Formats: sequence, structure tokens, C-alpha cells
Amino acid sequence: MSINFKKIEDSLKAEAKKLLEEGKVSIVLAYKKGYDDKHPMPYVARKISDVENIVFNEYCTANMARYLVRYPRGTKIAIAVKASDSRAVIQLIQEDKVKREDLIVLGIPVYGMKNFKTGKTIDSKTTCGIYNPVLYDVLLGEEVHGQPVVPPYGVLIEYEKIDKDARWAFWEKEFDRCIRCYACRKACPMCYCDPCFIDQNKPKWGEKSPESHGNLMYHLTRFHHLAGRCIDCGECSRACPVDIPLYLFHKKVAKECEEMFGQAAGMSIEDKPVLVNFRVDDSDKILE
Amino acid sequence: MKKTAIQKISDLAAELLEKGTLVAPIKEDAGFNFREISDAKQVDLNFYNTLMSPKSAFFPQTEDFVRYNKNKSVLEAQCVDMNLGPVFLFGVRPCDVKSFEIMDIHFSGTGAVDPYWKKRREATTIFGYAFDPNAPADGADFYSTLGIGAADPEGSDIFMIKKGDDLLFKAVTPKGENLLASLSSLADASKDEIKYFDETVVSGRSFKTRFTCVDTKVIAKKLEDIFHKTEFWDKVSEACLSCGVCTFVCPTCYCFDICDETLFSQGVRRRVWDACMFTDFTLEASGHNPRTKVYQRLRQKICHKYSFHIRKYGVISCVGCGRCTRNCPVNIDIFSIVDEALKE
Repeated sequence: MSINFKKIEDSLKAEAKKLLEEGKVSIVLAYKKGYDDKHPMPYVARKISDVENIVFNEYCTANMARYLVRYPRGTKIAIAVKASDSRAVIQLIQEDKVKREDLIVLGIPVYGMKNFKTGKTIDSKTTCGIYNPVLYDVLLGEEVHGQPVVPPYGVLIEYEKIDKDARWAFWEKEFDRCIRCYACRKACPMCYCDPCFIDQNKPKWGEKSPESHGNLMYHLTRFHHLAGRCIDCGECSRACPVDIPLYLFHKKVAKECEEMFGQAAGMSIEDKPVLVNFRVDDSDKILE
Repeated sequence: MKKTAIQKISDLAAELLEKGTLVAPIKEDAGFNFREISDAKQVDLNFYNTLMSPKSAFFPQTEDFVRYNKNKSVLEAQCVDMNLGPVFLFGVRPCDVKSFEIMDIHFSGTGAVDPYWKKRREATTIFGYAFDPNAPADGADFYSTLGIGAADPEGSDIFMIKKGDDLLFKAVTPKGENLLASLSSLADASKDEIKYFDETVVSGRSFKTRFTCVDTKVIAKKLEDIFHKTEFWDKVSEACLSCGVCTFVCPTCYCFDICDETLFSQGVRRRVWDACMFTDFTLEASGHNPRTKVYQRLRQKICHKYSFHIRKYGVISCVGCGRCTRNCPVNIDIFSIVDEALKE
């Protein structure tokens, strides 16, 4: 079975039109054509006439959950989500940044998405590797079955073989390239702090210049702020202009969190965020 | 006019390395970038354009001014010496060469001279490098809209055009001429090659990238007229993440911050690139921030380049290199925004 993108696009348009017509939502977060077909952009449809601009193709990788927190609380929003995007929506609901009742989730089961910068198919090992949205009100297209199962932490097998010193050297080398454009945090649906710690200057947590200690401070803090919250969409790594494999660290932290607390981020709206929830049977591994 | 086989480019690189510092494109994990060359074999001309613009050759992301010790008297603070010998900036595309001229306005053309920029500019010999006129332009580029050709030698000291497996060199300035005459790794070009070079320069002027008719006065006025039209700016910025990729890769963005950065007692006062897309860019000491919204920041960026800059200096502060568009995580395209603004 291959994904019928045109059919998904048509149902997305039809659903957006219906919701706007019925007045159930005031905005629909979806995609539109960018400067060419291979470079679509995030799009906000507000009027029925906007709906015709909506597109969906294999390059629509942006995680639209990133935009949810931009709108005033109570705004009725329909949002197009792929599998990992739906996990971001769940996580945001868990963190009370958006209310479930304000959202209509338009789920898109999909695989084989392509990176618009390289034109290449995105390696599922760099994302959460699931194909069907975890949460949706309307499913656009058919559930994906029979695709190879990609374990979310599979890519860590090689990484974990590296010893501590070599791992440190690896990250030092990777962060050395960082230009501190902050595309990673801005593309991240879970990075909504205002202000971000790195922008504060009283106290100043990290230097502004893109040098080793400031870069380390920024990235390591961000990695840990996302512990148990990263939903593994891989947007940070794709947004990075210098290709730092940020997903690796996020996956490592997510794996440890899951092992300790038995819960992956954004899998159920009933869950509480792991680092907020206290349970008597919580693992003490972190203290050992 | 001189020539060499592209295969032998490392011989030229080695010769330039003997004469001074060589900054040239090398292939890195995320793409090509201009870097200081340590081994002549690193130079790689098999690129379309670099990820980061060559502005960092004159305006590095971090520039140290003064080093100090927090526990010692300010009189003991030391100015950082630039220690500049001759620099060769090799393989710069014509649109990027044009950007230096625009940046000169800010760093040395308005009366207030930035010594760091000026010294680097004076120490540097620029080897411009024509785009391949036989290959299509990248979909993000729009330099022809801004009147820049694919093979414009102006602004370079020496200009290079590829012909088959050879690279042709022509001196544009006396500085370039002196250097070219002293390079023993280059051979003399034939009559045919001279003809090819001149023809390519001319045909490069009609080479088409994305194109829209931009009359500087019309666009400056238009953007001024719609400055307060919030619906327009809201619409064009709704996807914007407000990260700094576009400004950092841009050859004509020149905003910076002066920071005192201290680690234990050792401090340094330095200039670091800043970006108008960052929330704290306009944060005032009182806590007031005149640009809290994404649309205000994106509007500032577009209007600065395509309106205020024209009003103040008569030229657009953009060279159409397409880097901001190519690297935007959400495909925002300055060309389309300007095009839409013209239709408003």
C-alpha cells in the first residue's frame, strides 16, 4: 500500500471546509504551497475561501503542534497532525497548554515523508517511527499497516556502544558547528518557554557567542528540559542548518525516562508528564 | 588572462598559502562553507553555493575586541591584535561579491568606520567565481531580480570562470593584476578562452533566476504604505518560527551585539552576530519590548532590506542569493513576500 497524498489533501480540504462552515473552529492549522511544490509551508486557514490553498504532500513535514500555543486560550482550532505531531498535541494537553475540547485533531496516517531541504526520504530511525496518529477526531486516509516496525530507540544501539569519553568528544564536535540560530528550539513543539533560559541575562545562563561552553550550556539544558517531553518528531534535527543530530540525544534521554518511569511522552491524554508526576513506585535509579 | 586545470587547483591553493591566508570553500557535513585552509587539497570548487555566506571573512560571528581580568585594573585590559597578513578569499559567487559592496556602506561608507571590517577588506584579495551558466539556477535564488548577473566580475579582484575542465582567471583590479602576474602555477589563456570568458560575462547578465520586476523606489514606497497593514504582515509571518537562520546565513545582515563574556575571572569584550528575529533583540533595559510579535520582527527584516535601506542608501540590502529561503525550517521565502507586497 502506498500513501495517496492527493486523497489525503482532498479530505483535509473537505474537513477544513466543513469545520469552518459549521463554525466549529476559527482556524485550521495545515499546509500550503510554498515557493514551489516541494517546499510547502505551515498555513493557517481562517476563511472558507482559504481552504483551497491547503495542500498535503510528502514534503509537509512541519509539526503544526508548534503553532498551537500561539493562539489565545479558548481559540477553537482544527489541526492536521501526522503520528508524532499527534503526540505533541497530547503532550501539550497534558501540560495544560491547550485544552482537548478546543481542538479538533485531523489525523494523517503517513510514511515515506521527505526532507524538503535534501529531497530525500526521512530515515524513520531519526523520528519516532510510528505511522498512525495516536490521537485524532477525524482520520484522513487509511491506517497504515504492514510497514516495517522501527523501534524508536534502535538508532541508539550503536551510540550506546561508544564509551563516555568518546561520546563527550562526539558531542563537543557536533556542538562546535552550532551557530546558535535557535532554529531547533523554535521548531520544537515543546519549547514554548517565554523567555527561554538562554535569552535571559539576569542571571545569564549561557554566553551568546557560538563557542564551546555556551553551546554546551544551551544544548544540554535544552535536552534536559525536554526529558520525558520530547515526542521524537525530529523537527529540531531537520530545522538545524548545520545538521547536528539532535535527535540522538533526545532519544537517549527519552529512553532513560521510559525505562525509569514506564511512560513515553505524548502517548495518552490520561498520563501526567513524568517529571511532574510523583508515584511511590517511581524508580530511584536516578539517585543511585 | 590565465588558466589552470580544475584538477590542479590545489597547486594554486598551495601557492596562495605560501603568500598568505587562504579562505576557500570546503565540503563539510552540512554543505560547503568558506574556511581558512590549512591543507591545499581541502579546496573544493564543486559547489553551487556555500551554506553560510562569505561575510564572516570580514565580519566573523564572534570578534574579540578586548581581553580583561575581572580582578585586575581596567588599565591592564588588552586590545586584541588582528595580526593580519594578506588574505585570499577564493571562489565567491557574484551575488555574494555584490554583498560586500552593500556591507561596505555600513562598515565604512557612512563616516563611522569599523576598523575590523576595513582592515580585513583591505587585506583581502577576492577571487570571484561565476555560476555555471549552463546549469539551472537553484529554485530559491533570485539574484537576477536584483540586477546581478551569473558572471559579473565587478567587485572581485580576480574573476574566475569555469570552461570545461579548466578555470579561467581574469584580473579586475590592479591588486588582482599584480597577484595574477605573480602566480607561477597558472598558464596563459588562449584567444578562444579570452573570447569565451568575455562572452560568458555578457550572457551571464541575461541568465534568469526567479524574476520579478523590482523598481527600488516603487517597492520602498509600497512597503512604507503597507507598514501598518497588520493583516498583510500577519498573513506572511504566520508560519515564521522567529529563529535566526535567515539572518545568520544572509550575506547582508549585519546586526550585532557587544557582549562582555566572562569565564571565572577571564573576560572578553566581543562582538557577536545578533538577529532582528530574536525576541530579545529589541528588549529595552526598562523591560519594554517594542517588537514582541513575530509579524513585527519579520516586517522589520523585510522593510529594512527592501524599504528603509533604499530610503537611506539608495540600494536594496539583498543580493538574491536564496540562502534564507533554502535554509528556512518552514520555507518562508523573502522573494514571495516582496512579490505579494507589490500586489497589495
